[in-house]
Amino acid sequence: MIPIELFLLMSAVLFSIGLVGLLVRSNSIVILMCIEIMLNAANLNFIAFASHVGAPLAQIFVITSITVAAAEVGVGIAILLHAYKSKKTTDINDLTSMRW
Amino acid sequence: MEFIQFTWLIPLIPLLAFVIVGLFGGKFKNGLGSVAILSAIAAFVLSAIVSYEYFTGDLFAAGLAYIPEPIEWIAFGTYTLNFGIYVDSLTCVMMLFSSFISMLIFVYSIGYMGGEGKRKRRYYAEIALFLAGMLGLIVSSNYLEMFIFWEIMGVCSYLLIGFWSFKHPDGDEASVKAASAAKKAFLVTRLGDVCFMTGLFVLLWAFGSLDFTAMFDDPVGSLVNGNGTTIMIGTLLLFGGVIGKSAQFPLQDWLPDAMAGPTTVSALIHAATMVKAGVYLVARSYPLFVQNAEMMLIVAVIGGVTAFIAASMALNNMNLKRVLAYSTISQLGYMIMALGAGGYMIATEMAHGAADIDGAVGYTAGVFHMMNHAFFKALLFMCAGSVIHAVGTEDMRRMGGLGKKMKITSWTMLIGCLSIAGFPFFSGFWSKDMIMEAVMEPAVAGAASVFLFLFVLALITAFMTAFYMFRLWFMTFAGKPKDEKLHCHGESPVSMTLPLVILSVFAALSGFLMFFWLNDIITFNVIGGAFVVGGHGHEGMDILHEILYNQWTYVSLALSLFGILLAYLMYAKKAIDPARLNAGGNTRIYRALTARYYFPQLYDEIALRLGYDVAKGVDYADRNLIDGTVNGISNAMMGSSGMLRKLHSGHVQDYVAYMAVGVLAVFFVFYILIMTGGF
Repeated sequence: MIPIELFLLMSAVLFSIGLVGLLVRSNSIVILMCIEIMLNAANLNFIAFASHVGAPLAQIFVITSITVAAAEVGVGIAILLHAYKSKKTTDINDLTSMRW
Repeated sequence: MEFIQFTWLIPLIPLLAFVIVGLFGGKFKNGLGSVAILSAIAAFVLSAIVSYEYFTGDLFAAGLAYIPEPIEWIAFGTYTLNFGIYVDSLTCVMMLFSSFISMLIFVYSIGYMGGEGKRKRRYYAEIALFLAGMLGLIVSSNYLEMFIFWEIMGVCSYLLIGFWSFKHPDGDEASVKAASAAKKAFLVTRLGDVCFMTGLFVLLWAFGSLDFTAMFDDPVGSLVNGNGTTIMIGTLLLFGGVIGKSAQFPLQDWLPDAMAGPTTVSALIHAATMVKAGVYLVARSYPLFVQNAEMMLIVAVIGGVTAFIAASMALNNMNLKRVLAYSTISQLGYMIMALGAGGYMIATEMAHGAADIDGAVGYTAGVFHMMNHAFFKALLFMCAGSVIHAVGTEDMRRMGGLGKKMKITSWTMLIGCLSIAGFPFFSGFWSKDMIMEAVMEPAVAGAASVFLFLFVLALITAFMTAFYMFRLWFMTFAGKPKDEKLHCHGESPVSMTLPLVILSVFAALSGFLMFFWLNDIITFNVIGGAFVVGGHGHEGMDILHEILYNQWTYVSLALSLFGILLAYLMYAKKAIDPARLNAGGNTRIYRALTARYYFPQLYDEIALRLGYDVAKGVDYADRNLIDGTVNGISNAMMGSSGMLRKLHSGHVQDYVAYMAVGVLAVFFVFYILIMTGGF
């Protein structure tokens, strides 16, 4: 039985990787991927606690969460595609027209 | 079918005409004047039918008013403000003569305002609204409703006095004068209106209602117990409104300036509407006014002083219309004085505990004179208008000898002059002598020496009235033309002379109505401790007897005749040179009269000294305190948002960073709190 601390550590490392990627990368595809990593870090956390306290119901939530994440990625990529069509770029530093 | 339940239509018809003429008049060549005239005719016919029904009905015989259930307008707290109809004999008399005279003035306007072109629409719309205001005021069933129509009339008088402020037939200077006259009329009457409104607040507080029924039906005396002082203050403030509207001393000065408007408007203001509203308010509020004898004394003194000073100012004026304006103020003073004297008698008798008081001569005289005055003053103004229409000037020094060229005008005007001067058997004679009698009554009773003084003032005023009216007539119509350049177009068109002829019949004969019809109608009695308007009068023959057997009638008659004779000698025979009496217009009193006793200067001084400093203070407070607060708040908002909006850079990653930092900060705060045992 793997101790829960390792899962949590793994989850924290994954979340941090995602957050750093989100903050420093400029390609918006990569940013979207980083978001997915952060989401899955959270999912991992969730399932680890579920197995630790023995609550199988939590698995259903995780599966739901993954499903929603899939739909969300679809929406995200659609937005990026449109942004690319109009701006000819996916660089997040060039997509700054929504400002004061 | 009961027509009386359609009384509300009486003010509504002219109001409708105002809307129709105002909206569509521009599309027609004559400005839809016919609609305005038809509305006045309809209002008069309906008034006549309603009056007939009321006078032949049971209510009149019982001395009660017709009051249908009012519409509830606003209710707040324990107060309810209503909108309703109140028909009693005073209402009937008022609406009959004001709609009748307005009708004639409207017809007369066809000729007089014929050359106005496109602006006719405006003229007819405004006079229709004016009439609607007056009729609405007359049929109102409470003070607030009355006040609304009172203000409508104020606006209309402003608009109509300034009617030529855009383009005056006498040139630009005259149009500037018209504009400032309109402003003056509006502001001076506004001073009275503020008093009126404050009075309404006080009365609402004292009675808990502004309905006439609630305020007048209280048994005599029960009102006075407890809050007599409050009612006294309330009625005094109401009377302030009357002073403004009816041009009483010391707010009389707007009326002569109001002559800057068209003559038809002057006739309307002086005879049928506006200034009569003030007198009507006193007559209507009689149950409140007679609660206090001192109050009635104030009313009578104001009236007497006004009558005297206005008449004296008319003595040397050279402007045809101005003389008539002063005479209106003077006659209004007569009415107010009569109402005050009659009320004084009732008040003193009530203070002695009398439960039945048989008629107040003052009330009858005041209202009767108001009606007669409406007829002869409308006639005089329309005659003056006819003269001005023909010669194109208002300066009497340039007129003269017009009698031959304008037969109808000169004869009808003579009837008007005889009537106002109190020549026997013309209408003014009867009502003026009733006023004299009313003022003499408390003086003889030894109640107040003040009334003796007022009586002397009234006698001198009667003399002056006869003098200046005939001075006017002789200067205008008698003798030879003084100014060869003055071109007279001859007699005016039929639309103008027909109303003159009709009115001259009334001006001559309306006084006789008192002896077989009005004696039962214009009365105010206290019966069994309740106020009763109309229904219980003296026998007409008794009134006639009293007038004819009173020695003072003959004194005032002699004075009037002397005035006429003096005017004849001075201005027709030229036997006495007026210049010799006033040292060529250089005596002190002559100059004071020309300068209207320096009242205009007084107004200006007060306005400048008091008003300007107050206005400066208010301006300072407005700019610095109120605007400063508002601007300060908005500046603070602008500045802080200007800084904060910089955070919105458009870079998504910045937002993520803020969020991450925020979450970390929250995390650390909680972490520290938990570690230190804060939770």
